[in-house]
Amino acid sequence: MARMKFLCDADRCIECNACVTACKNENEVPWGINRRRVVTINDGKPGERSISMACMHCTDAPCMAVCPVDCFYNTADGVVLHSKDLCIGCGYCFYACPFGAPQYPKIGNFGTRGKMDKCTFCAGGPEADLSPAEFQKYGSNRLAEGKLPLCAEMCSTKSLLAGDGEIIAQIYKERVVKRGYGSGAWGWQTAYKETIAI
Amino acid sequence: MTAARVTNARVTNAMHDAWETTMSKTREPGKPAVDRRSFFKALGAGAALAATPAMVTPAAAVDPGAEETKARYRESEHVKDFYRVNRY
Repeated sequence: MARMKFLCDADRCIECNACVTACKNENEVPWGINRRRVVTINDGKPGERSISMACMHCTDAPCMAVCPVDCFYNTADGVVLHSKDLCIGCGYCFYACPFGAPQYPKIGNFGTRGKMDKCTFCAGGPEADLSPAEFQKYGSNRLAEGKLPLCAEMCSTKSLLAGDGEIIAQIYKERVVKRGYGSGAWGWQTAYKETIAI
Repeated sequence: MTAARVTNARVTNAMHDAWETTMSKTREPGKPAVDRRSFFKALGAGAALAATPAMVTPAAAVDPGAEETKARYRESEHVKDFYRVNRY
């Protein structure tokens, strides 16, 4: 059984934020929420690295472990989904998540939170596949359409990989064997000489 | 929704009963008409009684069936194309 995974090739990410924009548009994500973000380390310095982050659909998900109303569930594809009908917006999953994936819409003054929203691997939610109710709550269900998350499919440099974990790991291995990694990668010495090593 | 209304009605009734009990006491000289301690004691007992059914209500955890958790991923031509172009 294929397990769905994301993998961001930091040697290729150019921080264009197309994945963030594609996700917001495809899923009509509420204002103030980004299901995916691009994080840049050592921004503006030679050798900076960027990586695109969202829910990583953990095998043993901490969000699922701490949820007081048990609103999370795993699909056979290994995607972690949740029910917005049960979510009480307590924020426990936000504190438990090592990637900062759960987000909350601001629904009023004084910091009141709405239902949690996070990346669904473009796999919708507990409602019927491709139904208007599913789209309204969770966004599109591209997996049911025989497609993959739009963030990965839109990636201009093919940095963000998504799909069957074994296949994308194989693709990444082929890349590393061919071009190297970090300061050993093709073109690094041309850009930075011997000044920076990763 | 109905259970919540019933609970609210019970709390309101308990508060009313507590108020009636304390107000009906004979006023002793030098003491206020409403004995604060006995009022809150009666109120607390009434509220605890009213809240008991709410506490034993079973929690509603998500219980996805086979349809919700089934595998949706399939290696369609679209997905194969994605893998192919990522190998470049």
